[in-house]
Amino acid sequence: MSEIRLQVKNLCKSFGITKAVKDVSFSVNKGEVHALIGENGSGKSTLTNMLTGIYSIDSGTFVLDGEEIHPKNQVDANDHGVSIIVQELGTLSGLTVAENIFLGHEDRFVKYGIKNTKQMIREANELLHNYGFDRIKAQRMIDDYNFEDRKLVEIVKATYFDPKIVVVDETTTALSQEGRNELYKVMDRIRAKGNTIIFISHDLQEVLEHSDTITILRDGVYIDTVKSEDVTEEDLKRLMVGREVTGDYYRSDYGSVVSPEVVLSVKDVSVPGLISNLDFELHKGEILGFGGLSESGMHEVGKAIFGASYDRKGSVTLQDGTEINDIPTAIQNSIAYTSKDRDNESVVLNQSIMDNICLPSLDELSDKRHMLSDKKLRDFADKFAKEMSVKMVNVDQFVSDLSGGNKQKVVLARWIGKDSDIVVLDSPTRGIDIKVKQDIYQLMDRMRKAGKSIIMISEELMELIGMCDRIIIMKDGMISGEIERHETLDENNLITMMV
Amino acid sequence: MVAVGKTEMTTAKEGKLKKDISIMSMVKTFLPIVGLIIVFLIFNILTNFRMIKNMSLVLSQIYVTMIATTGVFFIMTMGGLDFSQGSILGIASIVVCMVSKINIPLSIVCGILTGALIGAFNGYFYVYRKIKSFIVTICTMFLFRGFIKYLTTNAPVAGSAALINYDSTGLKVALTLLILVVGFVLFRFTKFGTYLKAIGAGEKAAMFSGIRTDKMKFFVYVLSGAITGFAAFINVIKVGSVTSSGGSQLETQILIALVLGGMPISGGAKVRFENIIVGSLLYIVLNSGLTMMGFSTQMMQLIQGIVFLVFVAVFADRKSLQVIK
Amino acid sequence: MNSATVTMDQKKIEGSLRGYMILLFLVVLSWSIFKILTPHNFGTLNNMLSYFQASLIASVGAVGFYFVMVMGMFDFSIGANIMLSAIVGCVFATKLGLGYIGLVLGALCCGCLVGLFNGSFYVKLRIPSMIVTTGLALIYEAVANYIAGGVEQTLPAGLRMFGQMPGDIVLAIAAFLVAYVFLNYTKIGTYTYAIGSNEFVARNMGINVNKYKVLAFILSGGFLGIMAVLTISYGSSMVAVTGMASMSRNFIPTMGCFFGVAFKKYGIPLQAIIIGEFIINIIFFGFIALGAPTAIQDVITGFALLIIITVTTKINKGEIVK
Repeated sequence: MSEIRLQVKNLCKSFGITKAVKDVSFSVNKGEVHALIGENGSGKSTLTNMLTGIYSIDSGTFVLDGEEIHPKNQVDANDHGVSIIVQELGTLSGLTVAENIFLGHEDRFVKYGIKNTKQMIREANELLHNYGFDRIKAQRMIDDYNFEDRKLVEIVKATYFDPKIVVVDETTTALSQEGRNELYKVMDRIRAKGNTIIFISHDLQEVLEHSDTITILRDGVYIDTVKSEDVTEEDLKRLMVGREVTGDYYRSDYGSVVSPEVVLSVKDVSVPGLISNLDFELHKGEILGFGGLSESGMHEVGKAIFGASYDRKGSVTLQDGTEINDIPTAIQNSIAYTSKDRDNESVVLNQSIMDNICLPSLDELSDKRHMLSDKKLRDFADKFAKEMSVKMVNVDQFVSDLSGGNKQKVVLARWIGKDSDIVVLDSPTRGIDIKVKQDIYQLMDRMRKAGKSIIMISEELMELIGMCDRIIIMKDGMISGEIERHETLDENNLITMMV
Repeated sequence: MVAVGKTEMTTAKEGKLKKDISIMSMVKTFLPIVGLIIVFLIFNILTNFRMIKNMSLVLSQIYVTMIATTGVFFIMTMGGLDFSQGSILGIASIVVCMVSKINIPLSIVCGILTGALIGAFNGYFYVYRKIKSFIVTICTMFLFRGFIKYLTTNAPVAGSAALINYDSTGLKVALTLLILVVGFVLFRFTKFGTYLKAIGAGEKAAMFSGIRTDKMKFFVYVLSGAITGFAAFINVIKVGSVTSSGGSQLETQILIALVLGGMPISGGAKVRFENIIVGSLLYIVLNSGLTMMGFSTQMMQLIQGIVFLVFVAVFADRKSLQVIK
Repeated sequence: MNSATVTMDQKKIEGSLRGYMILLFLVVLSWSIFKILTPHNFGTLNNMLSYFQASLIASVGAVGFYFVMVMGMFDFSIGANIMLSAIVGCVFATKLGLGYIGLVLGALCCGCLVGLFNGSFYVKLRIPSMIVTTGLALIYEAVANYIAGGVEQTLPAGLRMFGQMPGDIVLAIAAFLVAYVFLNYTKIGTYTYAIGSNEFVARNMGINVNKYKVLAFILSGGFLGIMAVLTISYGSSMVAVTGMASMSRNFIPTMGCFFGVAFKKYGIPLQAIIIGEFIINIIFFGFIALGAPTAIQDVITGFALLIIITVTTKINKGEIVK
C-alpha cells in the first residue's frame, strides 16, 4: 500500500516579490487520500496548480512514479495522469456537457477533421451513467445546469480516464451535503483502484474523516505530514497557525465594556439573492465580526453598509440620521471599506501608490479654487504610507508591483488618511503572511481604542474570536447567531451556527 | 494571471529585464518628441525647407484636430473610445453655419450645444445601456453621417458671409491655446484628471474609492462632444460651408494623432497631456510632409497605417489588459 | 427515463422553436408594418424573394464574422476586406483571364490572407483587435487602391452568374453549410465557444488559444471573400475608396452577427444571422418603398444597429464595459 506515487522535491514559486511556495518537499503514496491543509495563503493551491500545469514551476520538481513531470497545461497534466477539480467553476458555458467533458481530448472523435458528435455524446452519457449522474444529459448545454450539477460534470471530466492523481481543490465548500456525498463516493472509488487523491479543504473535520494522510503547509513552507488517525483537530490547528494562539497575536483584553453609543444601525436590509432582512447595530469603539461560510452572504454585508450593493432594500443609518445609499455618501460620512477582492475593488492596480492613497481624499486636498498641488499629494501619501510601513521604493511605484500584504497596507493607509470613523474590513488578512497579519491586528486594536468602530468580515474563525467584541454568524443570507467576546470561545461554538 | 507564466527567471535575468524595461520606458517617453523633431527635420531637408516656409499653411490644418483631440483624450484616458467625432464635427458645423446667419456668437453656443447633445446620446447608450463605447460610437458615426448627407443633399450648407472676418490665424491660435490650457489645468491640477486616470486603470476600484464613475463617464462624453462642437466654429470659419463629407475621417485622425503622441490605447495612469500636442503636431507634419513630397493619397494612407500600428504596438499598456480581445 | 429528463428534452426543442418563433414574428411584423404603410409597391412574394436574395450577400460575411465575434474580438476591416477581395477577384477574373475560378479563388484566398494578417498582427502585437484592424484597414484600402489603379473595377456581364438566381443562392447555401459544419462538427467550433466563454480556462485545457484566434480570423476572412464575390457580382463593379470610407460596409454584416450572438442561447445562431439579415433588408426596402431619401438610409442603419444591440444587451449591474 505505501508505495510512493508522487514526490514533491524542493518546490519554489514566487509571484512578483511574494514567495508563495518555499522549498517544499514531501511525498504522496498510492491508494491514499492525502489531505493538504493550511491557512489562506499557505501555498496549497499554488502547489497543486503547479502540479496540474495551471502555473509554471520556478524551481524544484514533481516526480510521478519515478518520472519527472513538467505539465504545461491541464490537458498535458491529464496525459501524465494528473487531474484537478478546481475551487471555482471549471466548466465553460456555451458548450454542451459532452463538449465540456472531452474538452482538449476531442481528437479521438475526429476523423478527417470532422467531429463525430453523436459518438461523443454517447460516450459522455455512458460515463455519466456509470457515475450515477443520469439526470445530467450529455447533449444539453452546460448552461442549463446549476452550479452543483456543473461541479458533478467537472468531477466526471477530471476522473473518467482513471488518473493516477486527482486533486480536489476546496470543491466541497461549494457543494451541498448531497453533492459532497457524491464526491466522497467518487473519491472512495478512486482510492479503491489504487489511485491517489490530493484533498484540499478548510473543513478540518471533513479532512480527518475522509483522508488517510495529512500534510500541513504554513506561509508556503512545509510543516509536517501526519497520519489522520494519530491527530486531533486541535493538533492540526496548532500546526497550521504555528503557535498557541496568544494575546500578542490578537488583542489580549477580555471583558472590556463596549460603549452603548450606536454609530451605525442597519435595519431590514436585503439584497436580492444574497442577504435578507438584516438588522444589527454597531457601537462606538466596537469590533463587530461577521463569520460564516463564503456563500453565506456575509461578504455582501460589507458592501451593503458601504452603499455598494445593487438593488439594496432597507436602511443603513448613521448616528446623526444620515442614510447611506451610495459609496460617495458613505465615504463623505467617514465610512471606509476594504474589499475581499483586493486587486479589483480595493486598489487601482495600475496606478501609483500616491494616487491610490489620495483618491478618496482629493476633495480635502484641493485648495479653495479646487486646485491640487503635487507636493501636497506626495507628502500626504508619503506620510500615511510610512505610517503603515508600506515596503516601497517611493510613492510613485505602481501598486501592481507590491505583495498582497503591502497592497492591503496601501488600502488601509488610504482610509487612515481619510480618518474614517467606521471601518468595514472584508477578509483583511486574506492571503497575507503572518507578520503583516499581526500588524493589521495591532492597527485594529489601536483604532478601536481611539474610538473608531470596526466591522470585520472573515472566513477565518480564529481571527474573529481573537479580535471581535461581538460576532454575528451568517447562514443563507440571514443572521443565524450572535456571540459576545469570551475567553472560552472556540471555533466549534461558531461552526454549529454556520452549517 | 496571464503574466504568471513569465516569472521563471533567475535574478540575473531579472536584472537584465529591468534594464530592458527601463530602456523601453525611455523609448516610450522620448519616441514621440524625438520622432517629431526628426520627422520635421527630414521633411524640411527633403523639401528644401519648403515646409518651414509654409508653416502657417501646415498649422492651419491643426487647430480643429488638436481641439477635438483634447476631448477624445479625456475619453480615452478612461479607457473608452469615440469614433463619432467626425460626424459630431459635421453636424455641429452645419448648425454653426445655419445659426451664423442669425447671430455669430449664438452660433458658437449652438455648435457647442449640438456637440454636447450628441455626446450625451453616446454617453447614454454607453453608460446606461452598457454597450461598448466603440460600438455605440460607430453606430452614431454612421447615423449622424446620414443626417449630414441628408442636410447637404441639394447643396452644401453655407455659413454667413460675415464669418470670413473671423478667419485670422491669431484667433484660431488663441482659441486652440485656450482649450489646451484649460484642458491641461483641469487634467493636471484638479481631481478631474486623477479620477479619469483611476477609471481607466481600474474602474471598479475607482468606484469603491468614492468616484461616481457612471456620472463621470457620461459627463466626459458630453464634454468631449461639446469641445468638438466648439471646434466646429473654427472649422466653419476656415471652410465657409459644409458638404456631405464635412468632418469625415476626423475620428481616425484623432486616433492616429493620439497614438503617435504616445498614448496607451487602453488609457489609465500612464497617459500624459503632452500626448495631445506632440501627437497632433506629429500627425500634421507627417501628413503635410508626405503631401509636399508628392506622395499619392493611397501611399500616404499606407504609410499612416504602418506608422499607426508601430506606435500602437510600442505604447500599448499590456500589463493592465489581462485578456486582450 | 424519468419525468425530469423528458421535460428537459422538451425544453430543448422549445428553445430552438422559440428562437424561430421570435424571428418569424419579427419577419411578419416588419413586413406588415410596411405593407400597411405602402400597400402597393412593397412586399409581394416576388419582392420578398428579391429582398431575401439581397440579404444573402451580407449573411455570408456575417456567418464568418460570427466566429470572431463569439471569441469576443472585433474586426473593423470587414469593409476593406470585402473591397480588396472583390477587386482582387475581379482582376484575377478579367486581367488574368481566369474567369469564374479566378473570381472565386482570388477573392477567397485574398479574404483568407487578410484574415491571416488580422489574426497574426493581433496575436503577435497583443493589441486589442479592433485597434489592429483599424490600422490594417488603412493599409488594405491603400493596397486595394493600388491594385485597382484608382479606377472602378467592373465585372464583365459574362461573369455575373453569382449576382442572380440561382448562382447567388447556390454559393450562399454552400457557404452556410460550410459554416454550419465548422461550427458544429469540428474542433474549431467547440474551441470558438470555449475561448469566448473563458479564455483563461480554455488555455488551461491545453487549447492553443492564439492559434484558434488566428484560425477564426482566417475563417472569417474567407467568408468575407465569398461575400466580396457576391457583392461585386450583384453590384457589377467596385470602387476602391480610401480614408476609411470602406467602414460603411462593416455595418450590415455586423448587424447580422449581433442577431447570431443574441440567438446563441436558442442554439440557432447561424439561422438567426440569415433571418436577421433578411429582416434588416425588409426594413430597408420598406423605407425605400416609403420614398425615404437615400441619405436617410444611413441614419436608419445606424439607428437600427444601435437598437438591436440595446435590445439584445443584458445590463449586468456592476459589470465594467469599456
